[in-house]
Amino acid sequence: MKKALVLLVLLAVVSTFVVAGGRPEAAPTRRIAAMATDVGGLGDQSFNDGAYQGLLLGEPLGFEARVVESNQQTDYIPNLSGLAEDGAEIVFAVGFLMEEAVKEAARMHPDTYFGGIDIGGDDDLDNFQGILYREEQSGYLAGIVAGLMTNQYADASPRLRSDRNVVGIVLGMFIPPVERFEVGYIQGVKAVNPDATILSVTSGSFVDQAAGREATLAMIEQGADIVFQAAGLTGLGVIQAANEEGIFAIGVDIDQNHVAPETVLTSAIKKIPESVEVVLQSIVDGNFRSGTVSYGLAEDATGLAPFHQHDAIVPQAVKDAVDDAIRGILDGSIEVATSRSQIQHLLD
Amino acid sequence: MFTLEFLTNLLSATVRLSTPITLAAIGATICERSGIVNIAMEGIMIMGAFFAAIFAYTTGNPWIGLLAGVAFGGIYSLLHAFATVTLHLDHVVSGAVMNVLAFGITRFLMVLIIGHPGTTPAIPMGLGRYRFAIPILSDIPVIGRALFNQTPIVYLGFILVAFLTWFLFKTKTGLHIRAAGEHPLALETIGVSVYKMRYLGVFISGLASGLAGAYLSIEANVSFTEGMSAGRGFIALAAMISGGWHPIGAFLAALFFGFADALQVRFQVLRVVRLPEELFIVFPYLVTVIAVAGLVRRSRPPKAVGKDFMIERSED
Amino acid sequence: MMAPVLLALIVILGAAGTVLYLASYFWGGLLLIAAIVLHVWRVGLLKGSGAVRELVRRSLRSAAVPVFGIVMAILLGGVVMIFSGYNPFVAYGALFYGGLARNWHISVLNAAPLIFTALSVAFAFKAGLFNIGAEGQYYLGAMAAAALSLYMPIPGFLAIPVIFLAAGLAGAAWNIVPAYLKMKTGAHEVITTMMLAHVARYLSPIFIRAFGGDPSTSTHPYVTTRIPEHTMLLRFRAFLPEANARLHTGIILAILVALAVYYLLYRTSMGFEIRAVGENRDAARAQGISVGRNIFRALLIAGFLAALAGFNQVNGLDHRLFENLQAGYGWNGISVALLAGGNPVAVIFTGLLWGTLDAGGQYMSRTTQTPGAIVEIVKGIILFLIVARYIYTAFSNWRKRRRSRAVNVATAAADAAGGAVRGEG
Repeated sequence: MKKALVLLVLLAVVSTFVVAGGRPEAAPTRRIAAMATDVGGLGDQSFNDGAYQGLLLGEPLGFEARVVESNQQTDYIPNLSGLAEDGAEIVFAVGFLMEEAVKEAARMHPDTYFGGIDIGGDDDLDNFQGILYREEQSGYLAGIVAGLMTNQYADASPRLRSDRNVVGIVLGMFIPPVERFEVGYIQGVKAVNPDATILSVTSGSFVDQAAGREATLAMIEQGADIVFQAAGLTGLGVIQAANEEGIFAIGVDIDQNHVAPETVLTSAIKKIPESVEVVLQSIVDGNFRSGTVSYGLAEDATGLAPFHQHDAIVPQAVKDAVDDAIRGILDGSIEVATSRSQIQHLLD
Repeated sequence: MFTLEFLTNLLSATVRLSTPITLAAIGATICERSGIVNIAMEGIMIMGAFFAAIFAYTTGNPWIGLLAGVAFGGIYSLLHAFATVTLHLDHVVSGAVMNVLAFGITRFLMVLIIGHPGTTPAIPMGLGRYRFAIPILSDIPVIGRALFNQTPIVYLGFILVAFLTWFLFKTKTGLHIRAAGEHPLALETIGVSVYKMRYLGVFISGLASGLAGAYLSIEANVSFTEGMSAGRGFIALAAMISGGWHPIGAFLAALFFGFADALQVRFQVLRVVRLPEELFIVFPYLVTVIAVAGLVRRSRPPKAVGKDFMIERSED
Repeated sequence: MMAPVLLALIVILGAAGTVLYLASYFWGGLLLIAAIVLHVWRVGLLKGSGAVRELVRRSLRSAAVPVFGIVMAILLGGVVMIFSGYNPFVAYGALFYGGLARNWHISVLNAAPLIFTALSVAFAFKAGLFNIGAEGQYYLGAMAAAALSLYMPIPGFLAIPVIFLAAGLAGAAWNIVPAYLKMKTGAHEVITTMMLAHVARYLSPIFIRAFGGDPSTSTHPYVTTRIPEHTMLLRFRAFLPEANARLHTGIILAILVALAVYYLLYRTSMGFEIRAVGENRDAARAQGISVGRNIFRALLIAGFLAALAGFNQVNGLDHRLFENLQAGYGWNGISVALLAGGNPVAVIFTGLLWGTLDAGGQYMSRTTQTPGAIVEIVKGIILFLIVARYIYTAFSNWRKRRRSRAVNVATAAADAAGGAVRGEG
């Protein structure tokens, strides 16, 4: 019995060697565009999913999408450089936690392009593009809508309470893009509605729907009638609570109107897929940009989603205010802050 | 600020937040009373949540989802019973495997069934829609309005606390379950199978944890998200222990944690003090430690819990 | 005639290859093999060749169980793959090639923190305690290591030992409250350490923001600045190609600490007391051993060990402290410790196995174009190792029992792990 077992194992080991030795190293016939997710993995409905959709947009350009999900921090460098060694022309790293890893990988593979979503660039690396988004711009526009609708135009919908001047925001965990969304939102609300109360809850998780729901319900108790979420999947709980209680929610990253059409007033957009496509196009055209590229309103990468069925009830004045804000941001007359420390005076 | 309205809302949120913990904790109490250590509530919960959402989504009927969540929680827990009772596997080992396995299985099935990981599409209608007030009781100020204007599984939780307490202490089967955890040898000598009682204990705990999962995915929300149990199964473990291995104690402990969590959210909303958000988030965990330190008396687990029990019949 | 000879040749070559492979696998492995050879040699000198034969036979027998488990798990995993439409040969080929050859250094990097946290859990098991909150002590160790590395002016040669100790002590200090409560009021360590783990997890972002970072980076203030050169663990740069340059000496530390824990548990009176308390508190008390004091010590040492994982990550791997959203080393350490049956030396191997499977699973998912979810399945399969091991034990018990046709009804005492969740009586 024991001998048989030992024999079996050794056979398994040997066959592994044989199999491993005979591993066919598939020669790349198509151009490969690849990405490594951060530990959040696919299905986050945020940057990981967005980057993957961007790779899929590259298919008409002749790119084959390839994705690998990282389980822990040690996986980042082998995944990134492994994708490069597999023949990928460009490898995207997703999430600020991968900053060091992607720069290291870019140094190791000078002939491969690298991109970093939510990661700053590096002047010494001419094969790396750091892609940062101006989430604060989207947040600002969402703040304008929320700030105006909650008070001045509260009679536009029965979902709004004209007696209270309260809006809310639910955050997932406190990470850079989340902070930018929040800071922009607060600034936007205060710009059009200085007296508004802005309630803010950090749920501490990107996957805890129940926590998002409870946070929103607590805000509704305090009179909030519009709640913005920058909380990943936790935000689904925010939209759910808003839906139950008949108030408005503002979605994040993508147009989330489909989640609950009557409830989602608009969404603060961050067009990750499109910006990934832009990078892929630049490789095709042979004009890849290194360093930090920041995608904002000017690049049509941030902004607000359409109001969809609410288009009729949103007053023209609100739409005009949004357009004014966009113009102001574009011509520089409105400066949107990017960190809490810059808007201390609004927080207290 | 601290009006009756506020208090009512606070209590109502307490009940909502504690429901999944209560359900898992009272189930685990029965399980441990039968002599089987159960740290697998987290995994069973995630299975229950997943299958409840999948069935509610495909059939369009949340009640079928509810049944599926409970059933799959029960079925999955039988693996723990099989491993610990029949195979004499270490209870903690089996529980740890159950937890990891549940995450692997649901993630894999997400890809197979839904086509992507992360979250399922929204179900057409959740149980949250069926909120109803119980006449008379809900007219009691504060407490009545908080407790008796809720959704189905919350009520089911109240009923289960009462039912399982009665079951455990007033029925013959309950007596046998407790005996399996205290004096298995004596139970066996009067001709009752310890194995059967322990299977039953684990199974009840599986059903309850499955229900807790269903609450998360199809009553409190309308979709399943990977990892949505967010440690509640482990909190339930803590609630069971601080509840002194008694269903009502577990219920109270769960309520206490839910209360601290509800309070925490309101602290953030009202911005009572300006502190880093994380300090609010850790508040429920901290007060639990303090409560355990100061308030909870020394409680005694069932004597034979965690101990393997082996029956060997001679072959002549 | 030819077939058996050929088979034997293949087997011998395979075995020799495996040994060589493992030897070159990591330097700590070499150290271990040397230790094993020395031990066998010593036994031979002291007790003669018969004892050596007995030793080898005993080791082979104890190896048969995990080996059986591995084979079972691999077969079961293959079945799952076939049913879900993936080629198990291709997948396993990639898994082992990735984990043992191509990315072996990642396997080792993964293993080091797991060994520390698993040692922590295993040590507590020996005292009959379940340190479910190793994750929290890990964060404390990481924070202490980062703070000292960044802000304490420690001279070069002293820096690493001082930080090593301080990180461990921070973890031990984090466990003072649970240990004291357990000793004085019997408050269950499962509750207290786990709750404190949640607390520690959310303290780390506050800590990072407080200590700031480099404001010129896009990750400010979510990552601390880089720690100075002299506080970094040595890397095997001189011996290894560029691709493996991140491999650092943490693994050797982990192995040394594991051996030290073994020594502490089995060769000192403190270890004896702790184990006595873990096995049977009443009996220990009857022998005049202070249960409370040993529980206190055990939890503090467990905290110390788990915190070393944090030191390993900050000073060895990352060279900074991240707001580490999902570290999970504490939770995974529980599995690794259970897989090792609570034996500190076995933890080295199970930690390496786990790390290898993690790294290999990543490689498999990348190269064979299977979805990432399959990695999770592989992990589930690996956990089956534990189950399979017990199935094997149950099977052999059953055989033994059939032979002896003994007792009618018997209760067997729970082993250390099972007793862990029992409260204090």
